[in-house]
Amino acid sequence: MNTSAYKVPMPGRTLIAAAVASLLLVACATAPVRPDGADAARARLTQLQSNPNLATRAPVSMKDAEMAVRVAEQPQSDVEIGKYNVYMADRKVDIAVAQAETALAVDQRAGFAQQSEKARLDERTREADLANSKLASARVEIADQKSQAEITRLAAADAAQQAAVLAAQQSADAAAQLAAQQSANAAQQAAQQAAQQNAEMQRQLDEMHAKMTDRGAVLTLGDVLFATGRADLKVGATNNLDRLVLFLNNYPNRTVVIEGYTDNIGGDEYNMALSQRRSDSVKSYLTGQGISSMRLTSTGKGLSNPIAGNDSASGRQQNRRVEVIIDNPPVALR
Amino acid sequence: MNVSWQRLTDQRLCLAAGLAGALLATACASTPPPTASLQAARSAISHAEEADAGRYAAPELSDARERLAAANSAVDQKMMPAAQRLAEESRVDAQLAFSKAELAKAVAVNDEMKHSNRTLIEEMQRKSGDQP
Repeated sequence: MNTSAYKVPMPGRTLIAAAVASLLLVACATAPVRPDGADAARARLTQLQSNPNLATRAPVSMKDAEMAVRVAEQPQSDVEIGKYNVYMADRKVDIAVAQAETALAVDQRAGFAQQSEKARLDERTREADLANSKLASARVEIADQKSQAEITRLAAADAAQQAAVLAAQQSADAAAQLAAQQSANAAQQAAQQAAQQNAEMQRQLDEMHAKMTDRGAVLTLGDVLFATGRADLKVGATNNLDRLVLFLNNYPNRTVVIEGYTDNIGGDEYNMALSQRRSDSVKSYLTGQGISSMRLTSTGKGLSNPIAGNDSASGRQQNRRVEVIIDNPPVALR
Repeated sequence: MNVSWQRLTDQRLCLAAGLAGALLATACASTPPPTASLQAARSAISHAEEADAGRYAAPELSDARERLAAANSAVDQKMMPAAQRLAEESRVDAQLAFSKAELAKAVAVNDEMKHSNRTLIEEMQRKSGDQP
Protein backbone atom coordinates (compact mmCIF):
# COMPACT_ATOMS: atom_id res chain seq x y z
CA MET A 1 0.00 0.00 0.00
CA ASN A 2 2.71 2.32 0.96
CA THR A 3 4.69 1.69 -2.14
CA SER A 4 1.64 1.93 -4.26
CA ALA A 5 0.77 5.13 -2.57
CA TYR A 6 4.30 6.36 -3.00
CA LYS A 7 4.35 5.37 -6.60
CA VAL A 8 1.28 7.28 -7.61
CA PRO A 9 1.02 7.88 -11.31
CA MET A 10 1.97 11.25 -12.70
CA PRO A 11 -1.44 12.93 -12.67
CA GLY A 12 -1.85 12.01 -8.96
CA ARG A 13 1.45 13.57 -8.02
CA THR A 14 0.59 16.78 -9.72
CA LEU A 15 -2.61 16.91 -7.75
CA ILE A 16 -0.72 16.58 -4.45
CA ALA A 17 1.78 19.22 -5.44
CA ALA A 18 -1.01 21.53 -6.35
CA ALA A 19 -2.75 20.87 -3.04
CA VAL A 20 0.42 21.59 -1.08
CA ALA A 21 1.04 24.72 -3.07
CA SER A 22 -2.47 26.01 -2.52
CA LEU A 23 -2.17 25.17 1.19
CA LEU A 24 0.97 27.25 1.39
CA LEU A 25 -0.71 30.09 -0.42
CA VAL A 26 -3.67 30.01 1.92
CA ALA A 27 -1.31 29.99 4.89
CA CYS A 28 0.28 33.17 3.60
CA ALA A 29 -2.93 34.85 2.65
CA THR A 30 -4.89 34.84 5.88
CA ALA A 31 -8.13 36.70 5.36
CA PRO A 32 -7.18 40.37 4.67
CA VAL A 33 -8.28 42.65 7.50
CA ARG A 34 -8.46 46.39 8.08
CA PRO A 35 -5.34 47.18 10.13
CA ASP A 36 -5.69 48.20 13.76
CA GLY A 37 -5.43 51.93 14.21
CA ALA A 38 -6.63 52.89 10.74
CA ASP A 39 -9.96 54.01 12.13
CA ALA A 40 -8.27 56.12 14.81
CA ALA A 41 -6.14 57.82 12.17
CA ARG A 42 -9.25 58.53 10.10
CA ALA A 43 -11.01 59.97 13.13
CA ARG A 44 -8.12 62.32 13.88
CA LEU A 45 -7.96 63.44 10.25
CA THR A 46 -11.72 64.10 10.22
CA GLN A 47 -11.34 66.15 13.38
CA LEU A 48 -8.67 68.26 11.69
CA GLN A 49 -10.74 68.66 8.53
CA SER A 50 -13.77 69.81 10.46
CA ASN A 51 -11.91 72.37 12.58
CA PRO A 52 -12.78 75.70 10.94
CA ASN A 53 -9.61 77.33 12.27
CA LEU A 54 -7.32 74.69 10.80
CA ALA A 55 -9.11 72.99 7.89
CA THR A 56 -7.81 75.27 5.15
CA ARG A 57 -4.43 76.20 6.56
CA ALA A 58 -2.17 73.34 5.41
CA PRO A 59 -3.75 72.04 2.20
CA VAL A 60 -0.72 70.12 0.89
CA SER A 61 0.08 68.14 4.01
CA MET A 62 -3.63 67.62 4.59
CA LYS A 63 -3.92 65.97 1.17
CA ASP A 64 -0.86 63.83 1.95
CA ALA A 65 -2.50 62.74 5.18
CA GLU A 66 -5.77 61.95 3.42
CA MET A 67 -3.97 59.69 0.94
CA ALA A 68 -1.98 57.96 3.66
CA VAL A 69 -5.14 57.31 5.68
CA ARG A 70 -6.83 55.81 2.62
CA VAL A 71 -3.88 53.47 2.14
CA ALA A 72 -3.99 52.53 5.82
CA GLU A 73 -7.70 51.72 5.53
CA GLN A 74 -7.07 49.10 2.84
CA PRO A 75 -7.48 45.58 4.22
CA GLN A 76 -4.05 43.96 4.54
CA SER A 77 -3.10 40.29 4.76
CA ASP A 78 0.46 41.18 5.75
CA VAL A 79 0.31 42.45 9.33
CA GLU A 80 3.67 44.20 9.04
CA ILE A 81 2.57 46.19 6.01
CA GLY A 82 -0.71 47.03 7.72
CA LYS A 83 1.15 48.38 10.75
CA TYR A 84 3.50 50.33 8.53
CA ASN A 85 0.62 51.92 6.63
CA VAL A 86 -1.09 52.93 9.86
CA TYR A 87 2.16 54.40 11.23
CA MET A 88 2.66 56.47 8.11
CA ALA A 89 -0.95 57.66 8.21
CA ASP A 90 -0.67 58.62 11.89
CA ARG A 91 2.49 60.59 11.39
CA LYS A 92 1.16 62.39 8.33
CA VAL A 93 -1.96 63.43 10.21
CA ASP A 94 0.33 64.71 13.00
CA ILE A 95 2.36 66.68 10.45
CA ALA A 96 -0.79 68.19 8.92
CA VAL A 97 -2.03 69.23 12.38
CA ALA A 98 1.31 70.80 13.29
CA GLN A 99 1.55 72.71 10.01
CA ALA A 100 -2.04 73.95 10.20
CA GLU A 101 -1.49 75.13 13.76
CA THR A 102 1.73 76.86 12.70
CA ALA A 103 -0.10 78.67 9.90
CA LEU A 104 -2.83 79.68 12.33
CA ALA A 105 -0.24 81.05 14.77
CA VAL A 106 1.38 83.08 12.00
CA ASP A 107 -2.00 84.43 10.87
CA GLN A 108 -2.84 85.50 14.41
CA ARG A 109 0.17 87.81 14.52
CA ALA A 110 -1.53 90.51 12.50
CA GLY A 111 -4.16 90.67 15.23
CA PHE A 112 -1.52 90.95 17.95
CA ALA A 113 0.28 93.69 16.04
CA GLN A 114 -3.04 95.52 15.74
CA GLN A 115 -3.64 95.10 19.45
CA SER A 116 -0.26 96.54 20.30
CA GLU A 117 -0.79 99.38 17.83
CA LYS A 118 -4.12 100.12 19.48
CA ALA A 119 -2.53 100.00 22.92
CA ARG A 120 0.14 102.45 21.79
CA LEU A 121 -2.49 104.71 20.28
CA ASP A 122 -4.54 104.60 23.46
CA GLU A 123 -1.40 105.48 25.37
CA ARG A 124 -0.78 108.50 23.18
CA THR A 125 -4.42 109.57 23.43
CA ARG A 126 -4.21 109.23 27.18
CA GLU A 127 -1.06 111.34 27.30
CA ALA A 128 -2.70 113.97 25.12
CA ASP A 129 -5.81 113.94 27.34
CA LEU A 130 -3.61 114.31 30.40
CA ALA A 131 -1.83 117.28 28.84
CA ASN A 132 -5.18 118.82 27.92
CA SER A 133 -6.59 118.39 31.39
CA LYS A 134 -3.44 119.94 32.86
CA LEU A 135 -3.89 122.83 30.48
CA ALA A 136 -7.54 123.15 31.46
CA SER A 137 -6.73 123.16 35.16
CA ALA A 138 -4.03 125.74 34.54
CA ARG A 139 -6.66 127.85 32.80
CA VAL A 140 -9.04 127.45 35.70
CA GLU A 141 -6.26 128.54 38.01
CA ILE A 142 -5.59 131.61 35.95
CA ALA A 143 -9.30 132.38 35.88
CA ASP A 144 -9.33 131.99 39.66
CA GLN A 145 -6.46 134.38 39.97
CA LYS A 146 -8.25 136.79 37.70
CA SER A 147 -11.42 136.67 39.71
CA GLN A 148 -9.35 137.11 42.83
CA ALA A 149 -7.84 140.19 41.25
CA GLU A 150 -11.32 141.36 40.32
CA ILE A 151 -12.45 141.02 43.93
CA THR A 152 -9.43 142.98 45.07
CA ARG A 153 -10.12 145.59 42.45
CA LEU A 154 -13.79 145.85 43.51
CA ALA A 155 -12.74 146.20 47.10
CA ALA A 156 -10.34 148.92 46.08
CA ALA A 157 -13.10 150.59 44.08
CA ASP A 158 -15.38 150.38 47.11
CA ALA A 159 -12.75 151.99 49.24
CA ALA A 160 -12.23 154.58 46.58
CA GLN A 161 -15.98 155.24 46.45
CA GLN A 162 -16.13 155.62 50.17
CA ALA A 163 -13.21 157.95 49.97
CA ALA A 164 -14.99 159.82 47.18
CA VAL A 165 -18.16 160.08 49.25
CA LEU A 166 -16.09 161.35 52.07
CA ALA A 167 -14.37 163.74 49.72
CA ALA A 168 -17.74 164.85 48.36
CA GLN A 169 -18.86 165.57 51.82
CA GLN A 170 -15.72 167.52 52.28
CA SER A 171 -15.71 169.12 48.87
CA ALA A 172 -18.47 168.41 46.32
CA ASP A 173 -16.76 170.60 43.78
CA ALA A 174 -13.52 168.76 43.97
CA ALA A 175 -15.33 165.42 43.63
CA ALA A 176 -17.28 166.58 40.58
CA GLN A 177 -14.07 167.77 39.06
CA LEU A 178 -12.44 164.45 39.72
CA ALA A 179 -15.36 162.54 38.19
CA ALA A 180 -15.30 164.69 35.11
CA GLN A 181 -11.58 164.18 34.90
CA GLN A 182 -12.03 160.40 35.19
CA SER A 183 -14.72 160.15 32.54
CA ALA A 184 -12.68 162.32 30.26
CA ASN A 185 -9.73 160.05 30.84
CA ALA A 186 -11.81 156.97 30.05
CA ALA A 187 -13.17 158.49 26.85
CA GLN A 188 -9.73 159.49 25.80
CA GLN A 189 -8.44 156.04 26.51
CA ALA A 190 -11.21 154.41 24.47
CA ALA A 191 -10.58 156.75 21.61
CA GLN A 192 -6.90 156.06 21.80
CA GLN A 193 -7.52 152.34 21.74
CA ALA A 194 -9.83 152.55 18.76
CA ALA A 195 -7.31 154.70 17.00
CA GLN A 196 -4.60 152.22 17.77
CA GLN A 197 -6.68 149.40 16.37
CA ASN A 198 -7.45 151.29 13.23
CA ALA A 199 -3.84 152.28 12.90
CA GLU A 200 -2.80 148.66 13.19
CA MET A 201 -5.26 147.62 10.47
CA GLN A 202 -4.13 150.47 8.32
CA ARG A 203 -0.54 149.45 8.85
CA GLN A 204 -1.36 145.94 7.68
CA LEU A 205 -3.24 147.26 4.66
CA ASP A 206 -0.36 149.55 3.84
CA GLU A 207 1.98 146.62 4.04
CA MET A 208 -0.02 145.05 1.24
CA HIS A 209 0.06 148.31 -0.70
CA ALA A 210 -3.69 148.51 -0.55
CA LYS A 211 -5.29 151.63 -1.99
CA MET A 212 -8.18 153.10 -0.13
CA THR A 213 -11.09 153.63 -2.49
CA ASP A 214 -14.80 154.18 -1.99
CA ARG A 215 -15.33 150.45 -2.61
CA GLY A 216 -12.99 149.51 0.21
CA ALA A 217 -9.29 148.77 0.40
CA VAL A 218 -8.15 147.58 -3.03
CA LEU A 219 -5.15 145.36 -3.24
CA THR A 220 -3.72 145.03 -6.74
CA LEU A 221 -1.82 141.87 -7.52
CA GLY A 222 0.34 142.39 -10.58
CA ASP A 223 0.73 140.02 -13.46
CA VAL A 224 3.94 138.69 -11.93
CA LEU A 225 1.58 136.24 -10.22
CA PHE A 226 0.89 134.45 -13.49
CA ALA A 227 2.78 133.25 -16.53
CA THR A 228 1.54 134.53 -19.91
CA GLY A 229 -1.81 132.99 -20.80
CA ARG A 230 -1.82 130.82 -17.72
CA ALA A 231 -3.97 130.94 -14.61
CA ASP A 232 -1.94 128.98 -12.08
CA LEU A 233 -0.03 131.02 -9.53
CA LYS A 234 3.72 131.15 -9.96
CA VAL A 235 5.74 129.57 -7.23
CA GLY A 236 7.18 132.24 -4.94
CA ALA A 237 4.71 134.89 -6.15
CA THR A 238 2.50 134.49 -3.14
CA ASN A 239 4.16 136.82 -0.60
CA ASN A 240 1.55 139.48 -0.99
CA LEU A 241 -1.22 136.87 -0.87
CA ASP A 242 0.20 135.49 2.35
CA ARG A 243 -0.02 138.97 3.90
CA LEU A 244 -3.64 139.01 2.78
CA VAL A 245 -4.20 135.64 4.42
CA LEU A 246 -2.73 136.98 7.65
CA PHE A 247 -4.95 140.05 7.43
CA LEU A 248 -8.07 137.98 6.80
CA ASN A 249 -7.19 135.76 9.71
CA ASN A 250 -6.81 138.80 11.97
CA TYR A 251 -10.13 140.29 10.84
CA PRO A 252 -12.43 137.33 10.41
CA ASN A 253 -15.54 139.39 9.66
CA ARG A 254 -14.04 140.90 6.51
CA THR A 255 -15.17 139.62 3.11
CA VAL A 256 -13.27 139.96 -0.10
CA VAL A 257 -14.09 140.35 -3.80
CA ILE A 258 -11.48 139.07 -6.18
CA GLU A 259 -11.57 140.52 -9.69
CA GLY A 260 -9.43 139.36 -12.56
CA TYR A 261 -8.45 141.74 -15.39
CA THR A 262 -6.48 141.24 -18.59
CA ASP A 263 -4.96 143.26 -21.37
CA ASN A 264 -6.48 143.31 -24.84
CA ILE A 265 -4.35 140.59 -26.38
CA GLY A 266 -6.68 137.82 -27.56
CA GLY A 267 -10.44 138.03 -27.90
CA ASP A 268 -13.03 139.13 -25.40
CA GLU A 269 -14.13 135.62 -24.61
CA TYR A 270 -10.60 134.36 -24.13
CA ASN A 271 -9.77 137.24 -21.81
CA MET A 272 -13.00 136.91 -19.91
CA ALA A 273 -12.30 133.22 -19.30
CA LEU A 274 -8.66 133.80 -18.48
CA SER A 275 -9.47 136.55 -15.98
CA GLN A 276 -12.13 134.35 -14.40
CA ARG A 277 -9.66 131.48 -14.07
CA ARG A 278 -7.03 133.80 -12.60
CA SER A 279 -9.38 135.21 -10.00
CA ASP A 280 -10.55 131.66 -9.25
CA SER A 281 -6.93 130.66 -8.85
CA VAL A 282 -6.35 133.39 -6.27
CA LYS A 283 -9.54 132.39 -4.50
CA SER A 284 -8.51 128.76 -4.37
CA TYR A 285 -5.10 129.76 -3.02
CA LEU A 286 -6.80 131.66 -0.23
CA THR A 287 -9.20 128.81 0.57
CA GLY A 288 -6.18 126.51 0.51
CA GLN A 289 -4.70 128.71 3.24
CA GLY A 290 -7.77 128.18 5.38
CA ILE A 291 -9.90 131.20 4.45
CA SER A 292 -13.56 130.23 4.20
CA SER A 293 -14.84 130.39 0.63
CA MET A 294 -17.98 132.04 2.03
CA ARG A 295 -15.90 135.18 2.52
CA LEU A 296 -14.48 135.16 -1.01
CA THR A 297 -16.12 136.11 -4.29
CA SER A 298 -14.20 135.79 -7.53
CA THR A 299 -15.20 137.30 -10.86
CA GLY A 300 -13.55 137.71 -14.24
CA LYS A 301 -13.72 141.19 -15.73
CA GLY A 302 -11.78 140.43 -18.91
CA LEU A 303 -10.23 143.36 -20.68
CA SER A 304 -12.64 145.88 -19.14
CA ASN A 305 -11.55 148.73 -16.86
CA PRO A 306 -7.94 149.06 -18.03
CA ILE A 307 -5.91 151.11 -15.60
CA ALA A 308 -3.32 151.91 -18.25
CA GLY A 309 -3.07 152.05 -22.03
CA ASN A 310 -3.02 148.76 -23.88
CA ASP A 311 -0.74 150.22 -26.52
CA SER A 312 2.46 149.66 -24.58
CA ALA A 313 3.94 146.61 -23.03
CA SER A 314 4.17 148.28 -19.61
CA GLY A 315 0.54 149.44 -19.92
CA ARG A 316 -0.59 145.92 -20.83
CA GLN A 317 1.40 144.59 -17.97
CA GLN A 318 -0.39 146.96 -15.57
CA ASN A 319 -3.72 145.89 -16.99
CA ARG A 320 -2.99 142.22 -16.42
CA ARG A 321 -3.85 142.12 -12.77
CA VAL A 322 -6.03 140.72 -10.04
CA GLU A 323 -7.66 143.17 -7.71
CA VAL A 324 -8.65 142.14 -4.25
CA ILE A 325 -11.25 144.43 -2.71
CA ILE A 326 -11.48 144.18 1.04
CA ASP A 327 -15.00 145.23 1.98
CA ASN A 328 -15.80 147.60 4.82
CA PRO A 329 -13.12 150.23 5.02
CA PRO A 330 -11.50 150.14 8.44
CA VAL A 331 -12.79 153.57 9.41
CA ALA A 332 -16.37 152.31 9.12
CA LEU A 333 -15.64 149.60 11.62
CA ARG A 334 -16.19 150.32 15.34
CA MET B 1 11.44 2.23 -21.26
CA ASN B 2 8.73 2.99 -18.84
CA VAL B 3 11.12 2.97 -15.89
CA SER B 4 13.72 5.09 -17.64
CA TRP B 5 11.02 7.63 -18.55
CA GLN B 6 9.99 7.83 -14.94
CA ARG B 7 13.60 8.30 -13.79
CA LEU B 8 14.04 10.96 -16.35
CA THR B 9 10.93 12.75 -15.09
CA ASP B 10 12.22 12.57 -11.51
CA GLN B 11 15.51 14.06 -12.61
CA ARG B 12 13.67 16.83 -14.41
CA LEU B 13 11.60 17.53 -11.33
CA CYS B 14 14.70 17.79 -9.20
CA LEU B 15 16.35 20.09 -11.69
CA ALA B 16 13.29 22.29 -11.90
CA ALA B 17 13.02 22.49 -8.12
CA GLY B 18 16.71 23.36 -7.85
CA LEU B 19 16.43 25.98 -10.52
CA ALA B 20 13.39 27.50 -8.87
CA GLY B 21 15.16 27.59 -5.52
CA ALA B 22 18.22 29.20 -7.01
CA LEU B 23 16.02 31.74 -8.75
CA LEU B 24 14.22 32.55 -5.53
CA ALA B 25 17.52 32.90 -3.69
CA THR B 26 18.94 35.23 -6.33
CA ALA B 27 15.74 37.21 -6.32
CA CYS B 28 16.14 37.87 -2.60
CA ALA B 29 19.83 38.58 -2.73
CA SER B 30 19.54 40.94 -5.66
CA THR B 31 16.87 43.22 -4.11
CA PRO B 32 18.87 46.44 -3.85
CA PRO B 33 18.99 48.39 -0.56
CA PRO B 34 16.44 51.25 -0.41
CA THR B 35 19.13 53.84 -1.03
CA ALA B 36 16.76 56.63 -2.01
CA SER B 37 14.56 56.15 1.05
CA LEU B 38 17.57 56.04 3.35
CA GLN B 39 18.96 59.18 1.79
CA ALA B 40 15.58 60.92 2.10
CA ALA B 41 15.40 59.97 5.78
CA ARG B 42 18.92 61.28 6.41
CA SER B 43 18.24 64.60 4.76
CA ALA B 44 14.89 64.97 6.53
CA ILE B 45 16.70 64.42 9.83
CA SER B 46 19.32 67.05 9.14
CA HIS B 47 16.58 69.43 7.97
CA ALA B 48 14.83 68.90 11.31
CA GLU B 49 18.10 69.37 13.20
CA GLU B 50 18.66 72.70 11.43
CA ALA B 51 15.18 73.75 12.56
CA ASP B 52 16.21 73.16 16.18
CA ALA B 53 14.05 70.04 16.48
CA GLY B 54 16.55 68.73 19.05
CA ARG B 55 15.24 71.43 21.34
CA TYR B 56 11.59 71.70 20.35
CA ALA B 57 10.70 68.13 19.21
CA ALA B 58 13.28 65.89 20.83
CA PRO B 59 11.15 62.70 21.03
CA GLU B 60 10.20 62.81 17.35
CA LEU B 61 13.76 63.53 16.29
CA SER B 62 15.19 60.66 18.29
CA ASP B 63 12.44 58.41 16.86
CA ALA B 64 13.66 59.32 13.41
CA ARG B 65 17.28 58.56 14.30
CA GLU B 66 16.36 55.23 15.90
CA ARG B 67 14.42 54.13 12.87
CA LEU B 68 17.16 55.18 10.49
CA ALA B 69 19.62 53.08 12.47
CA ALA B 70 17.19 50.15 12.39
CA ALA B 71 16.80 50.57 8.65
CA ASN B 72 20.56 50.44 8.18
CA SER B 73 20.81 47.30 10.25
CA ALA B 74 17.99 45.71 8.23
CA VAL B 75 19.98 46.45 5.10
CA ASP B 76 22.96 44.64 6.67
CA GLN B 77 20.70 41.66 7.31
CA LYS B 78 19.46 41.78 3.72
CA MET B 79 15.90 42.47 4.94
CA MET B 80 15.26 45.01 2.27
CA PRO B 81 11.45 45.43 2.49
CA ALA B 82 11.75 46.03 6.23
CA ALA B 83 14.63 48.42 5.63
CA GLN B 84 12.52 50.30 3.12
CA ARG B 85 9.63 50.63 5.56
CA LEU B 86 11.88 51.71 8.42
CA ALA B 87 13.54 54.32 6.26
CA GLU B 88 10.16 55.74 5.23
CA GLU B 89 9.02 55.78 8.85
CA SER B 90 12.22 57.54 9.83
CA ARG B 91 11.58 60.16 7.14
CA VAL B 92 8.05 60.97 8.36
CA ASP B 93 9.32 61.03 11.96
CA ALA B 94 11.89 63.62 10.94
CA GLN B 95 9.29 65.62 9.00
CA LEU B 96 7.03 65.59 12.03
CA ALA B 97 9.95 66.69 14.22
CA PHE B 98 10.56 69.57 11.82
CA SER B 99 6.89 70.60 11.75
CA LYS B 100 6.61 70.44 15.52
CA ALA B 101 9.74 72.56 15.92
CA GLU B 102 8.32 75.15 13.53
CA LEU B 103 5.06 75.15 15.46
CA ALA B 104 6.83 75.55 18.78
CA LYS B 105 8.83 78.49 17.46
CA ALA B 106 5.74 80.13 15.98
CA VAL B 107 3.89 79.75 19.26
CA ALA B 108 6.90 81.17 21.13
CA VAL B 109 6.88 84.26 18.91
CA ASN B 110 3.14 84.72 19.50
CA ASP B 111 3.55 84.27 23.24
CA GLU B 112 6.23 86.94 23.18
CA MET B 113 3.91 89.30 21.29
CA LYS B 114 1.05 88.62 23.69
CA HIS B 115 3.37 89.16 26.62
CA SER B 116 4.63 92.51 25.35
CA ASN B 117 1.08 93.63 24.59
CA ARG B 118 0.06 92.73 28.08
CA THR B 119 3.07 94.55 29.53
CA LEU B 120 2.22 97.63 27.50
CA ILE B 121 -1.39 97.61 28.65
CA GLU B 122 -0.36 97.07 32.27
CA GLU B 123 2.17 99.86 32.00
CA MET B 124 -0.55 102.16 30.71
CA GLN B 125 -2.94 101.21 33.45
CA ARG B 126 -0.23 101.81 36.03
CA LYS B 127 0.45 105.25 34.54
CA SER B 128 -3.24 106.14 34.45
CA GLY B 129 -3.37 105.11 38.10
CA ASP B 130 -0.76 107.82 38.78
CA GLN B 131 -2.93 110.33 37.04
CA PRO B 132 -4.12 112.98 39.52
